Amino acid sequence: MNSVAVALALFFAVCVTGIFAGAIVPEKRIPATLAWAGSIAAGLAIWAAGTVLVFGGEFRHALWTVPSIGTLTILFDRLSAFFVLIAGVVILASSVFSAAYMKRFAGHYSLMAFNAWYLVLCASIIWILIENDVFGFLLAWEAMSISSYLLVNFEHRRSGTSQAGYLMLAMSEAGFLAVTVALLILGAGAESWQFSDLKTAAIELGPFVHWTVFLLTFFGFGVKAGLVPVNAWLPKAHPAAPANVSAILSGVILNLGLYGIIRLDFQVAPVTTTGAGLVILLTGTVSALVGILYATTETDLKGVLAHSSIENIGIVTLGFGASVVFAAAGYPLLSGMAMIAAFYQMLNHSIYKALLFLGAGSVDEHAGTRDLDRLGGLARLMPWTSGVFLIGALAISALPPFNGFVSEWLTLQTLLRGVEISSIPLRLAFAVCGAVLALTAALAVTCFVKTFAMAFLGLPRSENATRAVEAKGVAIAPMVLLAVLCLVLGVLPTFVMPALNQDLQPLISVGAAESLIPPFFTATSENGQLPPAFLQDFHNLGAQSGERFLPGRGLVVLLRGSELNPVVFAMSPSYSFIALVFLIVLVSIVIRRLTRQRNVVRRPLWAGGIPRLLPQMTYTATGFSNPVRVVFQAVFRPNISEDTRQTVAVHFRTAIHRQREETHVVDRVFLRPVGTAVREIAAFLAGMHHGKLNAYVVYVLAFLLFVLFFYRAT
Amino acid sequence: MSFWFWHGLRKGIQSTRYPARVESTPGVSPGRPVNTDFSTDSAAQLAAEICPTDAIVAHGKSTFVNHGKCVHCQLCRYSLQSPMDWETGYEWSRIPANQTESSALPSPFAKSMHIMVVDAGDCGACLHEVKQLNNPLYNMHRLGLFLTATPRTADVLLVVGPVSENMRGPLLKTWEAMPTSRKVLAVGTCAISGGVFGKSFMCACGVGTVLPVDFEVPGNPPPPLAILHGLLVVAGRKSLKTPTSISEGRA
Repeated sequence: MNSVAVALALFFAVCVTGIFAGAIVPEKRIPATLAWAGSIAAGLAIWAAGTVLVFGGEFRHALWTVPSIGTLTILFDRLSAFFVLIAGVVILASSVFSAAYMKRFAGHYSLMAFNAWYLVLCASIIWILIENDVFGFLLAWEAMSISSYLLVNFEHRRSGTSQAGYLMLAMSEAGFLAVTVALLILGAGAESWQFSDLKTAAIELGPFVHWTVFLLTFFGFGVKAGLVPVNAWLPKAHPAAPANVSAILSGVILNLGLYGIIRLDFQVAPVTTTGAGLVILLTGTVSALVGILYATTETDLKGVLAHSSIENIGIVTLGFGASVVFAAAGYPLLSGMAMIAAFYQMLNHSIYKALLFLGAGSVDEHAGTRDLDRLGGLARLMPWTSGVFLIGALAISALPPFNGFVSEWLTLQTLLRGVEISSIPLRLAFAVCGAVLALTAALAVTCFVKTFAMAFLGLPRSENATRAVEAKGVAIAPMVLLAVLCLVLGVLPTFVMPALNQDLQPLISVGAAESLIPPFFTATSENGQLPPAFLQDFHNLGAQSGERFLPGRGLVVLLRGSELNPVVFAMSPSYSFIALVFLIVLVSIVIRRLTRQRNVVRRPLWAGGIPRLLPQMTYTATGFSNPVRVVFQAVFRPNISEDTRQTVAVHFRTAIHRQREETHVVDRVFLRPVGTAVREIAAFLAGMHHGKLNAYVVYVLAFLLFVLFFYRAT
Repeated sequence: MSFWFWHGLRKGIQSTRYPARVESTPGVSPGRPVNTDFSTDSAAQLAAEICPTDAIVAHGKSTFVNHGKCVHCQLCRYSLQSPMDWETGYEWSRIPANQTESSALPSPFAKSMHIMVVDAGDCGACLHEVKQLNNPLYNMHRLGLFLTATPRTADVLLVVGPVSENMRGPLLKTWEAMPTSRKVLAVGTCAISGGVFGKSFMCACGVGTVLPVDFEVPGNPPPPLAILHGLLVVAGRKSLKTPTSISEGRA
């Protein structure tokens, strides 16, 4: 048994122990128990994943053989390890956060049940990621679906929660069915239900069957990943769940959907056609746009984050799609770049979204509301929470020096490389997707300016918001950890990208990161790692001096082009960060010097001379995002009803009641027609059941004849 | 097809050349009564009595006009057998009655001065005249005078209106929000003395009761050129035409 196996075994043992411990200890100790069990388990998962990622080697083990199903096996390879690492970090943060957060539910809801389902969820997440056969995978998937449903439904007495939970359960079961059908199709020609055997079987699939399998798995897993058009549950379920569960839902479970897509569509039955790539690319693009549009206009703090998850997963999916198209068109380097960007984006999204959800949970707990129109002014009352939330907001808005910038920039640059493809329609598709991605990035900034400003700046807009207090240290510590990760991942991409490339080797073409990060520090005129012209330029800048004190290849991400255009694009978040810090320090020193002699007069804020600045006079979240709502009216299609009362005369309105109802575009375009169609088919088929015995006999006879005929035909 | 460009060229520069040249366009100012010596005591008494705002004070055969109260009703010009003397013009700015001297802004502001206008309850007339300063004829930008919407960047506080009770607080706040090299210019009779509103429970008797005023522009309303003169005085680019003296008849 190697250390990975021990760590994994300990992980499951800790989860089970935690469940039993939760049943024994008194209720007020349960949050602490949960935090300990969850964080120790997460630590073990991180350790196991880290071992595999750093030292290489994969762990494969056959658990036991079930008659008629086959052997259940687990495989802990680098892909699994990468996802387990992300899951571990998020679970660690959200478990520690739970210690303070869950106390509010004591006496209202059963903490024991929460503890049990939380740990079951953690265990099933890891189980999914290491499972390597169809049966175990589906079983783990169901365990994850049901436990996450139960956790979403935890606050079941709040209005809307149960509804959101049921929708989530129904849609995830529908996705599960699609995946099951796809796996059955794959498994029909395979020797066993192992993924490796499915892979051999998948090679012989005809194009039609392959497409069917691809579409079923892509949209089946897409339900969990939150891809348009199967994401109707996500914006309802994520806000309904407690914040620590929301963090896991957004930071880990969405990744599980992507993991399924990666495992099945990129490894077991790899898609290689341009068509499939375009489907992935366009789905991702539409998800990104729809997600951010609704995030911008949403006023529920957690709703904003939920919609923005759809956007981020859309960007990740877009990267996957671009990768497939590039690979099909014969550009392995660009394909690898797109893959790196996508995985990087996924890693980043997990971290900053978990951070933001935990921050939102803190706000909800201490300010008593999540409605952005009723929050405000929390920066003074909750300085730590607002600080880390600001870092998360900057990261998710893709602003340097934080991590979101690197991955979104890389994704955008990769899409712009679509010009290298010779086919005009493909180029057009890339151009459109690139433009939409740029729009998405701009809207994301708008969205998070709104979110941060409305929640933390300005004046408090409700009584509760004025009485907010800072969260406890144990709730802030995990957020600070995630914020630091945001910064590290944003400042050191030249260390992260080769690691991603090395760890996800078969998926990302070999040498993608190497060619993106030129070895400035180590290149000399002798070893020929760089063309001489390049070398001269960079040595003039003193590049080789970095070799002494900085390990690694260099700190610049750079794509080299032809002779005419030697540098296609380049960036260096590391140097930018150094320059940024240097400039901030310099400017502050200069300002301090210049103003040292001046006497400062403090006057009250100028607010137009009004007697008192009231919260009602300030911008609300609804008002701030209204321009977006007006510009994209064609997407939102609001149903506005206005009811005015006039008492004195025709034009003297005494009361205006304005109501605005919006149906999510996915509900309107996809879910509702599908629901109507299903209901109509059911109504039509119900006509068969009129209770006449003779008719039923005819049905049986007809079916028998059909079966006989069918088998004779084949 | 529009010919505005050619029209413009043909018309040439229409802006007034004031203060480089004396502006003599007729109608820029209604004019105002000046201190008059009558032939009899009773004529002077009649002139003082006909004045509805007590701007005219009789002293023997002489009458003295307090321009800080005069509302240009012209009763003393047309309704009297022996009318008051009348002057036209616009360089009327003066130092407030309760002060002996006021200083203009320091020289760096001479060519660039930002003005914050506060309507402290005026009837709209003075504000209308202030507004004219931005039109092509008076075009105060050519002199480096700019209106600003925030007191933080303003150098001059231009107040019109008698300061109604509701505007007292905002006016004070505006003044407090200005950087300390500020000057206050009270424009119009109401802003100087309360004018036809006078002292009441809802109204202060002019800006001077609320803020320290540096310069005044009498007139009801003062013509745009008078206001421009006042602003140039604040900027230190024009001197007061007539030093304030007791002969102006402040009673």
